[in-house]
Amino acid sequence: MALLSFEGLGIHLGGREILSPTSFEVARGEFVCIIGPSGCGKTTLLRAAAGLVQPSAGAIFRQGNKVLRPSREVAFVFQDYTRALLPWRTVQGNVMLALEAAQVPVAQRAARVQQVLKTVNLQAHQHKFPAQLSGGMQQRVQIARCLAQSPDVLMMDEPFGALDAMTREALQDELARLVREQGLTVLFVTHDLEEAIYLGDRVIALRTNPTPQRPSVAAMIDVPIAHPRDHLGVKEHPEFLRLRRELYHYLGHG
Amino acid sequence: MADMLSRLRPWVFPVLVLSLLEWYVRSVADSSDALATPLQAARAWWDLLWLSSDEGLWRVTGFTLGTAALGLGMGAGCGLLLGLLLGLSPRAARMSFLTVEVLRPIPSVALIPLAMLVFGFGVRMELSVVAFATFWPMLILTQAAARQVEPRLLEVSAALGLTAWQRTWWIVLPAMVPRLFVALRLGVAVALVVAVTVEIAANPNGMGYAMMIAQQSMEPARMLAWLFWIGVVGMVINVVTLRAQQWAHVRMGGSVTDTHRVSA
Repeated sequence: MALLSFEGLGIHLGGREILSPTSFEVARGEFVCIIGPSGCGKTTLLRAAAGLVQPSAGAIFRQGNKVLRPSREVAFVFQDYTRALLPWRTVQGNVMLALEAAQVPVAQRAARVQQVLKTVNLQAHQHKFPAQLSGGMQQRVQIARCLAQSPDVLMMDEPFGALDAMTREALQDELARLVREQGLTVLFVTHDLEEAIYLGDRVIALRTNPTPQRPSVAAMIDVPIAHPRDHLGVKEHPEFLRLRRELYHYLGHG
Repeated sequence: MADMLSRLRPWVFPVLVLSLLEWYVRSVADSSDALATPLQAARAWWDLLWLSSDEGLWRVTGFTLGTAALGLGMGAGCGLLLGLLLGLSPRAARMSFLTVEVLRPIPSVALIPLAMLVFGFGVRMELSVVAFATFWPMLILTQAAARQVEPRLLEVSAALGLTAWQRTWWIVLPAMVPRLFVALRLGVAVALVVAVTVEIAANPNGMGYAMMIAQQSMEPARMLAWLFWIGVVGMVINVVTLRAQQWAHVRMGGSVTDTHRVSA
């Protein structure tokens, strides 16, 4: 059974159709990237999947249960890490928040925090406050907080969009490693085609201004490139070039 | 040497003004009963400093500051609690909107006659007026602070599955702290102004009253000494509360470099 299934999901916001009825499924352990131009509803789709927005039509099911509200089994990584972290808590304290919310027994918290911080290489900075960290490190704190939730699904909304190119590539590789090691299921929104192909097992392209004749999902494409991937290898891979051309066309450039 | 000179620079203007005043009162207004020279005022201040009776500097200052602090505690405390309620509950805010907007514009000193009727002359009357005056800014600013919590943090708390209680204690209240310190700083300034005003107008106690008595008994030197002293006390309190506000800003995660923005 699919971990997540979107069944005729439609969303209207402010009288405008953001998403026309959209249906697809995400299997456990799958890394699905959603791409599309600004305003195509990709972030809204992700927020709906996390229970932060209510659909106007259709429904989303997680493990067979309708998603009605946010759940601790779904972790959400926001793009604006500066605002999503508690500035008055240290790195450690921010990660701890997830454990406090989940009422993890106090005796287990410290060890769990250390374990999570280690997976994102932040142990050395655990006593610093967010304002003392670089953007890349702040985003790693947010990812650590999400991992501490031990979620079923990781929802990521353009998590690396605000970072510089070098940091972005480093974090992409780190994320890919984490996902492989922990068998995470990820729904990843981005507007960067190459990022989507590099990270995803599957890429879903959305279009703006959907109509019943032109539904939101413009294309759904598998990425047949084996893991682990590396930046140089993938970007010269013939499949990468083919997919990039194809998706570029779907996104309305062609 | 240059360093020392630059440190002296802020004193040039005050010294110039005081010297001119000293010269003016000594030469031109020599026969005036209404004016005293800065040196005479300083002398009067020095005498007050060592006066150990009830009219001594420290006791009188202590009365005004104590009353202002207590009144602030009552007014700001109530304002904080009610502001939290109105900030967190839109329904309560809608219900109270009219009442707040009608009562808020009343100048606090206009309440002195009523307070005198109810409490007579004395501490309780002064307390009630100070409490009234500090209640409103605290109420309004607390309410605003509760509404201005970063919306992203509220989404984070939803995504983490926090209860309403956890969200209030872990997210909303800590996020409000820097703005509450700004409100408190404003409240402290209001409390001091109102306390001295009430003492000048009605309550026969404290620094305001001491200044009035000096004026009425034709002792301009002592009056000016109190005026100078009230200014110094106000300045010290402003520095202390500004430090507290900056500390809160940094402690709650604001960056050190933008503290100048909250100092305005």
